[in-house]
Amino acid sequence: MVPLWMYLAVAAALFSLGVFGALSRRNAVAVLMSVELMLNAVNINLVAFWRYSETSTDLLLNGYAFTAFVLIVAAAEAAVGLAIIITVYRNRRSVIPEEAAALKG
Amino acid sequence: MFESPTIAEFVTQSNLASTLPGTLLVAWTLLLVLVDLFAGDEREHWTPLGACLGLGVSFVANLFVYAPAADQQTALYGMFIADAFTGFLNIVILVATLLAVLMSRDYLMRAGIHRGEYYILTLLSSAGAMFMVAANDLIVVFVALELLSIPLYILAAFRSIKNDGGELALKSEESGMKYFILGAFSSAFLVFGAALVYGASGTTNIPQILEVAPAVVDAASSATFYLVVGTALLIVGLGFKVAVVPFHMWTPDVYEGAPTPVTALMSVTAKIGGFAALLRILVTALSVLLLVDGGVAAWQTTISIIAALTLVLGNFVAISQRNLKRMLAYSSIAHAGYIMVALAAAGTAGSADSATQGALVYILAYMFTNLGAFAVVMTIERVDGGGGNIDDITGLARSRPLLAMAMTIFMLSLTGIPLTAGFVGKFMVFAAAVQAGLVGLAVIGVLTSVVSAFYYMRVVVNMYLRDSSGELLPALETVYVRWAINIALAGTLIFGIFYPLASNLVSMVSIA
Amino acid sequence: MELNAISIGFVVFTIFTLGGGIGVVTTRNLFQGTIWLMVSLFGVAGYFVLLSAPFLAAVQILVYIGAIAILITFAVMLTRSVTRIKTRYIRLVPSLLASLALFLILLLGVTMPIFGGVSPEHAPATVASTRDLGAALVDENGYVVPFLLASVLLTGAMIGAIFIARDDTA
Repeated sequence: MVPLWMYLAVAAALFSLGVFGALSRRNAVAVLMSVELMLNAVNINLVAFWRYSETSTDLLLNGYAFTAFVLIVAAAEAAVGLAIIITVYRNRRSVIPEEAAALKG
Repeated sequence: MFESPTIAEFVTQSNLASTLPGTLLVAWTLLLVLVDLFAGDEREHWTPLGACLGLGVSFVANLFVYAPAADQQTALYGMFIADAFTGFLNIVILVATLLAVLMSRDYLMRAGIHRGEYYILTLLSSAGAMFMVAANDLIVVFVALELLSIPLYILAAFRSIKNDGGELALKSEESGMKYFILGAFSSAFLVFGAALVYGASGTTNIPQILEVAPAVVDAASSATFYLVVGTALLIVGLGFKVAVVPFHMWTPDVYEGAPTPVTALMSVTAKIGGFAALLRILVTALSVLLLVDGGVAAWQTTISIIAALTLVLGNFVAISQRNLKRMLAYSSIAHAGYIMVALAAAGTAGSADSATQGALVYILAYMFTNLGAFAVVMTIERVDGGGGNIDDITGLARSRPLLAMAMTIFMLSLTGIPLTAGFVGKFMVFAAAVQAGLVGLAVIGVLTSVVSAFYYMRVVVNMYLRDSSGELLPALETVYVRWAINIALAGTLIFGIFYPLASNLVSMVSIA
Repeated sequence: MELNAISIGFVVFTIFTLGGGIGVVTTRNLFQGTIWLMVSLFGVAGYFVLLSAPFLAAVQILVYIGAIAILITFAVMLTRSVTRIKTRYIRLVPSLLASLALFLILLLGVTMPIFGGVSPEHAPATVASTRDLGAALVDENGYVVPFLLASVLLTGAMIGAIFIARDDTA
């Protein structure tokens, strides 16, 4: 059996990768992809904590149910975010926040 | 495995009635979708009217549910908590939404983008805020926060649709995109923090975290580490939402670009939701467990530093702003700092209740005053977004004396001058800070209030003392906006002059 | 960690997850980035199988790879012609330092059990099933409030997304 800390280490690495991408990318779609990586790291954490806790056997499903809600929220967020990004692109042919210059810095 | 309860058992066991203010608002909003669909050309009257009625229904339900309930009751198996804290903030959210809806109809008609979806998204966002202040579980905090935020992303970008003249407002969609990116980023931090707290304590229920946490801290194992890092990430995630330094960078751009009624709404409801979650998580779940020697919560220093930075930066940068909406954006950052002072004070054992009450009164005063100020800015703003600079209100006292007087009172209240609601809020927050032993923080708060007088009073000076170029500003607003300004003005003055009123209203609030 | 099917699976899925993640944040071609994202999401679904949550693994593949990643692919293809989707970095060094610091902090806590802390080595033998989750979402254990909120959230997101992306010149 794989010990719990290995899952947590992978989740930490994936979350940090997502943070790096979200901070350093200029393209809004690329930032959204990095945020999805961060949310996936959260899901690994939640399921791993749930699986290794003593409460996973009875009906305390907190981590399991939380993961399902994170998935739902990620879907809603992606739909709305991409709708906004596509609208921005349609109106000005660029999705790089810094190039959208109607608002100053 | 499960005994299925009957419906009657379910309603009584789960205490569904206490969720009525929120659930009624959601149900009403979904009906409003249909009303808007079939109203046809009449929708410019029916949809806003229906939105106001829905807020009224929720308000009445709130009075029935919470008026007799001094004691707190948890509903739906501990997911939802219906205490005086919830009831009070529900009222603040509902009044704020009503004022924003009153402002919105006028703004949307003028901009030529009147659509029924606007009101539906506004009400859904407010319902999210109402569930967030009642959340007693990290899962509910997260999902309700998203219900609060996602409609606001769309609302901020609302002017990206072509108006009736086929024109676009590019600032608005940019505002929506920035708000979305920052919002999604901060949500990920929040939920990662929640996952770590869950890992450390084995539960997401806030009172259960409180029970388990002392053992987790004593164990001094990696679980303790998760709890501390998880708390830090929760503070980062919610810090973005309430716009405190150093997580405030998005605020001025988003506030300036969004339609003015949306800015007014998000500057109030998003902050209420964020602060309610911070108070519930830090004060209820994590205060006792992180108490170090001397009865001070371990997170108090961090929150105090954030509060001090927010107060200083928000107030000083606001001085250099020429655009009124940007100035109010920095001012709202500064006001988040004052509420953070109350939060820090709640970290001292014994002063949690007085600090929470101070924060609530501050939120009430800030809601009336800030919405009023944005409503005045909206009346002088042109549809293309111009006309909102500090020079554009020069001579307002001559062309629109009543409007100028209202703006003056809002500016006095934001500064915190006696006889206005803002003073009562500041007084209670600083008193709680001193009682909690945070004298330095209270002094910073008072000094930065003096600094803030500089930019708030410049607005008043421009209106009264400087001569305009001679042209009179036309009256652009309709009766709805006048009502919004009147209600905001009445709230600011009533809670300021009858100062025990506000503290009596919150006297039963206790979340520790 | 002895060598068996689960530990081999763990290594394979780790390569998928982190390799895909590195691909997402380093590739300059955004379209390739979405492919890497799918690889990473697939690796995460594999972890869910290892952690005895097959339902979540199925949902992960259906919702994340089937819907979200495809949606992102559409967005990439709609917003730039495929040939010139080169993205650039901003604040490269500060972002690298910040995320590296975050990673080290998290790793420190995670690896504490190796140096004498307590961390479960073995998971309990039995786990709650998908049936339990379904019951809990609408029944006594009480995920009714988040379930209600999530459904309202999806309704609101759908109304909002259709509204904002609709190209109406009315």
